[in-house]
Amino acid sequence: MGEKAVPGKKKRNIESTGYFFVAPFVIAFIIFSVYPVLRTFYLSFTDYKGFGDAALTGGVNYLRVLQDKFFWRSLWNTAKIWSVNIVLQLGLALALTIVFSDIKYKIRGLAVFRALYYLPNLIAATSVAFLFKTLLDWRYGTLNQILVGSGAVGSPVNWLGSTATAPYVISVISAWMWFGNSFIMLMAGVQGISKDYFEAAAIDGAGRMKTFTRITLPLLKPIMLYVGITSLIGGLQMFDLPFLISGGTAGNPSGSTQTVVMYLYKFGFETNQVGYASAIAYVLFIIIFLFSALQFKVMYGRKKGGN
Amino acid sequence: MRMKRAAAFTLAGLMAVSMTACGSGNGGSAKGSTSDSTEETKNEAAATAGKKDASEKLVVWTLADDLKQFAERYCEKNPDVQIETVTIAPADYPTKIQTAMRGKQTTPDIIVGEPQMLEDMYEAGYFEDLDQEPYNAQDYADKIVDYVWDVGKDADGVQRAISYQITPCGVFYRRDIAEKVFGTDDPEEIGNMFQDYDTILSTGETLRDAGYKIFASDMEMTYFSGDSAWVEDGKLKIDQARMDYLDSCVKLYQNDMTAYVAQWSTTWYQAMGGSVPVIDKETNVWDETEMEEAAENGKTTEIFAYGLPAWGVVTMRDHVGDLSGKWGVCAGPAYGFSGGTYIGISALSEKKELAWDFLKFCTLTEETLDWWIEASQGDVVSYLPCLEKHKEDENTVYGGEKLYQFFLEQAEGIDYSKVTKYDKKINDAWAAAIDSIKTGEKSKEDAVDEFYDVVASTYPEIEIQR
Repeated sequence: MGEKAVPGKKKRNIESTGYFFVAPFVIAFIIFSVYPVLRTFYLSFTDYKGFGDAALTGGVNYLRVLQDKFFWRSLWNTAKIWSVNIVLQLGLALALTIVFSDIKYKIRGLAVFRALYYLPNLIAATSVAFLFKTLLDWRYGTLNQILVGSGAVGSPVNWLGSTATAPYVISVISAWMWFGNSFIMLMAGVQGISKDYFEAAAIDGAGRMKTFTRITLPLLKPIMLYVGITSLIGGLQMFDLPFLISGGTAGNPSGSTQTVVMYLYKFGFETNQVGYASAIAYVLFIIIFLFSALQFKVMYGRKKGGN
Repeated sequence: MRMKRAAAFTLAGLMAVSMTACGSGNGGSAKGSTSDSTEETKNEAAATAGKKDASEKLVVWTLADDLKQFAERYCEKNPDVQIETVTIAPADYPTKIQTAMRGKQTTPDIIVGEPQMLEDMYEAGYFEDLDQEPYNAQDYADKIVDYVWDVGKDADGVQRAISYQITPCGVFYRRDIAEKVFGTDDPEEIGNMFQDYDTILSTGETLRDAGYKIFASDMEMTYFSGDSAWVEDGKLKIDQARMDYLDSCVKLYQNDMTAYVAQWSTTWYQAMGGSVPVIDKETNVWDETEMEEAAENGKTTEIFAYGLPAWGVVTMRDHVGDLSGKWGVCAGPAYGFSGGTYIGISALSEKKELAWDFLKFCTLTEETLDWWIEASQGDVVSYLPCLEKHKEDENTVYGGEKLYQFFLEQAEGIDYSKVTKYDKKINDAWAAAIDSIKTGEKSKEDAVDEFYDVVASTYPEIEIQR
């Protein structure tokens, strides 16, 4: 453009034009992100009930969160549900990646399969919950009818009514919903690996297993780490599926499917303790922040060591 | 290229199919309003009654679709008024109202609430004071069933809302089975078999031995649990009736007296109209003849009774099918009520006089309520002159029983002072405790301990003596 560096007025004009262009985003960001974040922070120090006036109460809410055993139980539940979920989700995605990235098989129709695997993610959580509640009903569910009918089990399994199975059922459904997503990311990762490595390995006579463990897997690690950690952050915010399947924020049976966000919802929207719910939100935020920091550290550390 | 296009179409088709397949499987939904969280929630939908060019417009935010019919009726009588009725799911309702009120919106003009929501809504100042001029609601005090009138009052005794219906609970039972097993189908005598939890258990055993199940789920007596308020003077109270209720739920379940059906599930509704299968190892459920044989061999079962509030009259009517006329209603082990839509005027409305006219039309006008009894085919109204008039009405679905008389008697026994704003969550926690005992996950002691812990963590202000 060859803009001359004119001192004074003109330069300032250019700067203010820039502000004008970013203004729509900044205004929306302030209204919809910054304000709620600050407001929640303020509310977490009050006894606000969702209506009327809020009185400052100091750190009472935070103290209550730390001493609330059900908060910690819900955090533990969340971690439990998430960890089984991530093993299944990543395991399945990885297995499919191995199959689809094999240069000898050259499986056709990758796009079709990719879309098919992604489909569960497009179904609304409400529908998924209703579907699985019907399929997994204790006495009248399809799955138990098949299992009992075929003699695989002696008596129907109470999938959603027993603390031994209910949380893991949610893990499995969640993995079913999300493995397609991970699969797409891992496939993208594989396609990003230079073909030269695979060809060189083939020429050197490396078998399928060796190629996978020595080339694909190490080079996929950053992507797997990324998928794992973003999933952890999303997983800590898990709400819809367990809420709908267990039918409320109590997380039945015996609170075994109550996640942190369900616990927060119980106070924020069901018992009018907005101040306390805000404090829970901030404690959860700190936990997620720590994991995010860990993610950056691990990723950054890898880059340094790798390159 | 062609392959790709074909694949794309197939996929699009698949997606559409999977969506509709998931969306179409809705079970029946309970008519009327209920505090039960598992009940299916309807989508928000606005309906407009009356002419577009009407000179005045009223906005109603409701929980139950009933008010849409009231609005249409009102607009027929008042052609210069247009009413927009928005139905909002119970779970979303408090949040929506809160947002509107805090935003100082002048609409909705008419707002509603269910009993367990009302205390907070009164406290927040959402409802107009109906005792003042020009409403003078107290002039109508003797026209409405007592407990309904009391639910509509705030902590200071100021009238804030009125309901057009009463929702006392009863035990809905199968007359034909009663005749077969007990030799009588008289509501009075069957009522005696449900008079307390011990009797209910022995009734359940008799029915089980005759090849029936007393209840579909073990939650049917939940409306009749407890003799006193959960919280009295800021203290949590577990009375003997609560404990008896807990024990009886556990026994009903463990001694195989229910069909293990979840309340409000498809099978639960299905059992209102006939037999439901009891699945065992040998039955191949996919084989029609085998299922028919199983039915003959008693591998299906029929449900004797349901515990439901008065709006259950309508719910059940829609599901009984061929069993119409074979049901009856009798009293349960205690007086109870559940749900009910309470109508009030928004404190911020700019059309309060019109809103009051509509409120009066819905709750205090004999002609409207006579019409509603017809239109709803069995909803039980709260307006006493109407109840009196229909006292002798016989409901053919329930073997010609005089239901208005029955529910009025039940309503007279209700003590509203037992209701607290803590009930919903405490009941949920109590139900969770019962669940974990009956399935053997926890001992009674541990489960009750956990119940105390849950209440303590949910409401730190409640004093708990273990």
